[in-house]
Amino acid sequence: MTLIPLELRVNGAVHQIQVTPGAFLLDVLRDDLGLQGTKEACAEGECGACTVLIDGRAVTSCIYFAAQAQGHEITTIEGLSDDGLLQPLQQAFADLGAVQCGFCTPGLVMAATGLLDQSPNPSAAEVREGLAGNLCRCTGYGNIVWAVLDAAMQRGREPL
Amino acid sequence: MRTPTKIVETAPPGIIGTSSPRLDRRDKVAGTFEYGADAIRPGMLWGRLRRSEIPHGIIRSIDISHAVALPGVRSVITGEDTVDFLASRLIRDEPIIAHERVRYHGEPVAAVAADTEEIAEEACRLITVEYQPLPIIHDTGEALADGAPLIHPNWESYWAAPLVRRNGNVMSHASLKRGDVASAFAAAPHVFEDHYDVSMVHQVSLEGRVAIAEFDSDGNVHVWSSHQYPFGLRQDLADILHIPVGKIRVTITGVGGGFGGKLYAGVEPYCVLLSQRTRRPVKMRFTRDEEMIATSPRTGARVSLRTAVDETGRFLAREGVIHYDSGAYSASSPSIVSVGLLALPGPYRWKALSIDAMAVYTNKANCGSYRAPGAPQAVFAGESQIDKIARSLDIDPFDLRMMNAVEDGDLGPTGQVLNSVSLKETLKVAAEAIGWTEPRQHGRGKGLACSWWTTTGGASSAYIRLDEDGSFVLVVGGTEIGTGALTAGVAQICAGELGIDPEELQLISADTEVTPYDFGAQGSRTTVQIGNAVIKATADLKSQMFEVAAGELGIDPDRLELADKQIRSRDDPTRALELSEVARLGASRGGLLGRGSHLQPPTAFDEAAVEGAVFGVFNTPSFGTHACEIEVDADTGEATLHRYLVVQDVGKVINPLYAKGQLSGGAVQGIGQALFEELSYRDGVVANPNLTDYKVPTIVDVPEVETILVERPSPTGPYGAKGVGETGIIAPTACIANGIYDAVGVQVTRTPLTAQRIWEALHSDT
Repeated sequence: MTLIPLELRVNGAVHQIQVTPGAFLLDVLRDDLGLQGTKEACAEGECGACTVLIDGRAVTSCIYFAAQAQGHEITTIEGLSDDGLLQPLQQAFADLGAVQCGFCTPGLVMAATGLLDQSPNPSAAEVREGLAGNLCRCTGYGNIVWAVLDAAMQRGREPL
Repeated sequence: MRTPTKIVETAPPGIIGTSSPRLDRRDKVAGTFEYGADAIRPGMLWGRLRRSEIPHGIIRSIDISHAVALPGVRSVITGEDTVDFLASRLIRDEPIIAHERVRYHGEPVAAVAADTEEIAEEACRLITVEYQPLPIIHDTGEALADGAPLIHPNWESYWAAPLVRRNGNVMSHASLKRGDVASAFAAAPHVFEDHYDVSMVHQVSLEGRVAIAEFDSDGNVHVWSSHQYPFGLRQDLADILHIPVGKIRVTITGVGGGFGGKLYAGVEPYCVLLSQRTRRPVKMRFTRDEEMIATSPRTGARVSLRTAVDETGRFLAREGVIHYDSGAYSASSPSIVSVGLLALPGPYRWKALSIDAMAVYTNKANCGSYRAPGAPQAVFAGESQIDKIARSLDIDPFDLRMMNAVEDGDLGPTGQVLNSVSLKETLKVAAEAIGWTEPRQHGRGKGLACSWWTTTGGASSAYIRLDEDGSFVLVVGGTEIGTGALTAGVAQICAGELGIDPEELQLISADTEVTPYDFGAQGSRTTVQIGNAVIKATADLKSQMFEVAAGELGIDPDRLELADKQIRSRDDPTRALELSEVARLGASRGGLLGRGSHLQPPTAFDEAAVEGAVFGVFNTPSFGTHACEIEVDADTGEATLHRYLVVQDVGKVINPLYAKGQLSGGAVQGIGQALFEELSYRDGVVANPNLTDYKVPTIVDVPEVETILVERPSPTGPYGAKGVGETGIIAPTACIANGIYDAVGVQVTRTPLTAQRIWEALHSDT
């Protein structure tokens, strides 16, 4: 099978790899780069478990060609917590009951990160709108909304 | 009135009843938590199943030659290779690979192991199967019709548990007969007769079934699986594949959602067989499509019920028949019929009952357990009819429920004596919180629905070890499937008994070779049953610690206590040993290891009244009331849920954050079943086997669920706790149907309650 060379910048590190032209970003992240924090649940862009950020914008990596990501900054869940230090958003998810089985959590945290980067003080309705592409089957969503609002408040308190 | 006696009078001060965070939270938010989907073994092959394209037929031939010839393919097996390998636990009716005939669309007809998942998939495509199609049995009506073809012509030859009553296409039939139903109906001033239909729905765990199996050179197999019940899986694999239990080790990986769907052997037998043949580790995962067409969803059901009521609205008798559309094979359906007997009468007083619940074979995926299996179907019917009765007799639905609700000392439907009953309290709290007596806004209605549910028994055991640095290790065979039952609830109970922070506890769980037996993460049992075992194990460990310290300190063990991480004199706290010192002394004598096992004694009931039921009683039942406010657009039939409220008796709350998390999570799954979800079959084929067409509620589809906990301590749970996990999903279909009925005056009797069905109900009389 034909392989194409690709240079991907993931969480600040540059990776030079060979992939098939049709390889999806999710599979490259998980299988080629060993970044298994990003999950696959539907493989058709419907559930959001595979959400990563490309130049700060949330995308579903299971239907995003790896080749499209070349030249862009890719951020995965592994890129959020430096030296095991959790971001306010991660801490809020952990503390406020927004995590049960946790399989949707990396995707939700990435989607919410993208949301807060673009809209630092969202209303509850805006949080819901922003996370409409991410399914969670465990929590009933209420605590997820609270976690994002709480993190927005925490982030607002940090010096710019 | 009887006063419940608790097994432990009071919870230790401090941690019980607080929202202490779960132990697995950091890895889960950091993306470093390892699920089954993430597990890898060196030299691993990938397995894949070829599945039937037709719902019912005779297999004429299977040609695997092209698949076998594909480079990278390591093994191909068909039903010829697995003739004696039959599932399931109560009826062995399911060949793990179809042999001679297929009975549902998606049934495995061959299994492949290959170097990559892509090659395995390609090999499956290269297998040619010729079928002779048979007539499709689409539903229970067709299956039960006179002269209906048998889906299992050899049903009588199958092994089945002795309690299971079977007959042709009826795989299991449970019945309850108490009191004189005929006389009650004959004398009743009012009799109501209705039919309700409930859709088949799917658990949709975000992580699908996935496992790895690997043999060692002595023929022992190690299975890593995303599963809810390691000891059940080990026994399943032994029974199905005829491998001694002692040669199978099951280790549970992280579990990305279970909801009952991962209680039976699913993907694992194929991994084991393919690994056995290739002598390589084999991983297999089901795609979303496979999950939707071929993995134990909740049965659809048709419920017919007649209810006799007196002049004042008191319930006299109920006669009900439930036909569960259970699919091609039995899985857990033979036990689900038992639930119907207990759920259809609901938590009300009856003079006479006649309930028949049947699990019926059809040409659909074999249904199985999904959170409170069997209950939402019955409760949708029972609670919908209550609102119909209320309207007919011009009685407020709240008053009608209060008038008939069970209380302490009443008998349950099968004759158990009920205690710590809180139904009326939950009703009052729910009605107050939803503003039941307030005038309705235009186009809006409010609904109520009540339910009761079991805290499943079964054995649990725990070991607690004190290590030489003074730290504790808790070892249990239970599984954390996401609820927090283990990593929050059980950890809190253990920490509370030892006077430490849960963070200081190391938790080892769910490995058949390392951890003691547990009956599995099922039936709302984990916090209660493992919690009880942990309390006993901590007591055992404490007595061992006191024994060791007594010798060293020269103090009678009875005068010692564990406090502030010391073993010290109750009389003079300055005479103390640090835990690390106690541990080192203990280690020199062979170590300090506390053990505790718990098996809840059976609940007595009227056994003569019940036939064909695997269980006849709800152990340590809990009670709850749901309430909602919903708006219906009469022009389009579209329903908008504005408020949803769950009031649940949890006995004694161990962790409010996660107890409420169970209620809101369960309720949203229930709201999905009420408004959106239906596994839709067309000509025997699932028409919506994906998350685009099968509508799981998103964050914008549901309001924030309001939850209120009521505490009426049980005599059996730790500090009085009752099971919580499944309760939230039971009442939403009924509650929302009743809200719609209140809003527009018509009752929709078929779920999901879509805009089209509401509109049709509104226009059916004109």
